Amino acid sequence: MNIPWTLKYKPKTLDEVVGNKEAKNIILKWIREWDNKPPKKRALFLYGPPGTGKTVAAEALANDLDMELVQSNASNYRTAEAIQKFAGIASQYTTLFGKKRLILFDELDGIAGTADRGGLREITEVIKITNSPIVLTANNAYDPRFSTLRDHCQLVEFKKPKRTEIEALLKKICSDEGLEAEVEALNIIAERSSGDLRSAVNDLQALSQGRKQLTFEDVSWLSTRDRKDAIFKVLSDIFYARNILDARRAVDAADVDLDMLFEWIYENAPYQIKNPEELSAVMEMLAVADLYRGRIGSTQNWELIRYFLDFMTAGVAVSWSHKSSGWVPFKFPTRIMSMSQSRAEREKLAAIGLKIGKRCHMSVGQAIKEVVPYLRVIFQANEDWKNGLSRWFDLDEDMVNYLLTIKN
Amino acid sequence: MNVTFNKNLRLNSFLQHIIIETTSIRVLKLSYEMWTEKYRPNSLNDIVDQEEIVNRLKSFVKTKNVPHCIFAGPPGTGKTTAALCLAQDLYGPGYREYVMELNASDERGINVVRETVKTFARTRSIGEVSFKILILDEADNMTGDAQQALRRTMERYTETARFILIANYSGKIIEPIQSRCAPFRFTYLPREHAINWIKHIAENEKLIIEDDGLEAILEISGGDLRRATNILQTAASVGKPINEETVYSVVGRANPADVQGMLLTALNGNFVEARKKLRDMLLKYGLAGTDIIGQIHSETFKLNVPDKWKVKLANIIGEVDFRLLQGSNEEIQLSALLAKLVEAGAEIKRGQ
Repeated sequence: MNIPWTLKYKPKTLDEVVGNKEAKNIILKWIREWDNKPPKKRALFLYGPPGTGKTVAAEALANDLDMELVQSNASNYRTAEAIQKFAGIASQYTTLFGKKRLILFDELDGIAGTADRGGLREITEVIKITNSPIVLTANNAYDPRFSTLRDHCQLVEFKKPKRTEIEALLKKICSDEGLEAEVEALNIIAERSSGDLRSAVNDLQALSQGRKQLTFEDVSWLSTRDRKDAIFKVLSDIFYARNILDARRAVDAADVDLDMLFEWIYENAPYQIKNPEELSAVMEMLAVADLYRGRIGSTQNWELIRYFLDFMTAGVAVSWSHKSSGWVPFKFPTRIMSMSQSRAEREKLAAIGLKIGKRCHMSVGQAIKEVVPYLRVIFQANEDWKNGLSRWFDLDEDMVNYLLTIKN
Repeated sequence: MNVTFNKNLRLNSFLQHIIIETTSIRVLKLSYEMWTEKYRPNSLNDIVDQEEIVNRLKSFVKTKNVPHCIFAGPPGTGKTTAALCLAQDLYGPGYREYVMELNASDERGINVVRETVKTFARTRSIGEVSFKILILDEADNMTGDAQQALRRTMERYTETARFILIANYSGKIIEPIQSRCAPFRFTYLPREHAINWIKHIAENEKLIIEDDGLEAILEISGGDLRRATNILQTAASVGKPINEETVYSVVGRANPADVQGMLLTALNGNFVEARKKLRDMLLKYGLAGTDIIGQIHSETFKLNVPDKWKVKLANIIGEVDFRLLQGSNEEIQLSALLAKLVEAGAEIKRGQ
């Protein structure tokens, strides 16, 4: 249940890889050349923006041709020595079981600095003599560091898939997951991903957590480009308003959800305002606005909303000098995303806290605060203790995995 | 059970064999448990500290009469343990039938407490003791209204139920309840007792603990035995000799609420990063805003900032605390406080 959809829906064959027809054709043509003898260029260099399917394509290719994928990640080829070791495998044409090998050097961008220069040089040497096909991936093949390496590789560019292609994938996932999604909702997710498939699939999973339906309203705050432009305008009208009336009016003019607008202002204030005193004054205005919002909640007196508005617009505008330190783009409010993602997490944490509380005579809150942190370390450090204590606390597998995965 | 078995010697020895077998299996299985529970005393006689309190409680057991009580004191000083031991001494092995543990912060609303108490206290307990015991933990987290309702419940069921209210601060318990309860004030254990306690567990668990490791545990737990025990167990799970380094490394890994780190990040002018730390505490680790502000308050006084600013900040912290109680958003209020720290940091730097 809890595996990321990016894994669950990873293409198994090259054909299933979304978009990039041209790139896939080059890959197939190149691999066929290997049938007789190693071609002139013994490595493929797949490059393109993140989330366009480079690594996935290499994996799918190996799968299609029933080859064994030998993968080395960035930390493994930092030194020339490590590469040489790796090259030992590469030089053998087949595995013990007669399977051919496909060698993957993933995310070459990860190699940085002079210390790793040796690594890159060694990879070039391996490519010259290899008997197994090699695939390299990187975001930017034209990085000067790759200049020599590039000469020995067949370059293949991966482009961002079209919006319609992303939408089609999202639709397929929805139908597999039994999720009813409005076309407009998928439209927004695809649009927002700007060509990054991985992020589109992640967004879809985060947004649909615990739902059976996904409507336009559920995702509308993610905002299409148009809406984004609209909110950017409101934001700059508020932050840089010349007087309080303009600041107040900016909200009336825009058709945006007020809580959402507040989140945008709150997220962006520290990026726009660098002077510590001014930032502090602006944050205080937002805190006061929030105070009124809380009072509306507890009294149900919606008249108070005007004060909420006053402080988040006019209050922000007059509390700083508008001297920005150069143009800073507005950022998407990340808090909202993390809130929706972590709601499920917090529920899990509470369930664990309840089990612990029963055993250790404490409240859920105390258990989360005083036992969970230590339990996490114990679980990560000691397998026997993990198993024994999970049994003692009666934690299910899901809970144990959750404790193991929280990063410290 | 043994009495019945004595009639048949062969059966008896056979059964005893089985009993020994099963208990050894049970021991094996139970060897994995939290040491806070494994080493929690089961009788007032086993409690080595809080002598005066224990003596008074023992006299309750002797007369088989217990008044309503308030156990007040800092965490990890044995309040819950004392309540449970009292119950076990009073009722014997079947004590669970006569004792109910409630948690004021879990059982939302006084209505839940009232209903639970009603059903629990309605039936008289059979046996020598004519009342049941209700342990209400974190009683100081109850609102004034809830406490008023609790007071009426206490009065109504005095015949059949006695309350032990557990709280960090007895001052947060309303006066009418206080006047109906026998107060017990728990204090931090003297250092030697804490040392003995840790050594006792270490010996039993066959741990190698070095002096500086013991010292580190005492330093971090500051008299809170539960915390000390948890730290010891965590350090032991790593499987190395327990010294200063292992202790600090496991505590560092365990402690997500790096409040001090967050405050320093803000003081150094990185608001965005400090806000991210705050967000992690609230969302990822599920800490309550009021807990975080409590820690901010105590950490602030340890910060290397001029006293003038400490007082200023204390005022702001107090205001934020109050706003949280009024139902404002935790992250937004607390990050306004972080922005103030950024401001303080900048002014201090200028002053130098």
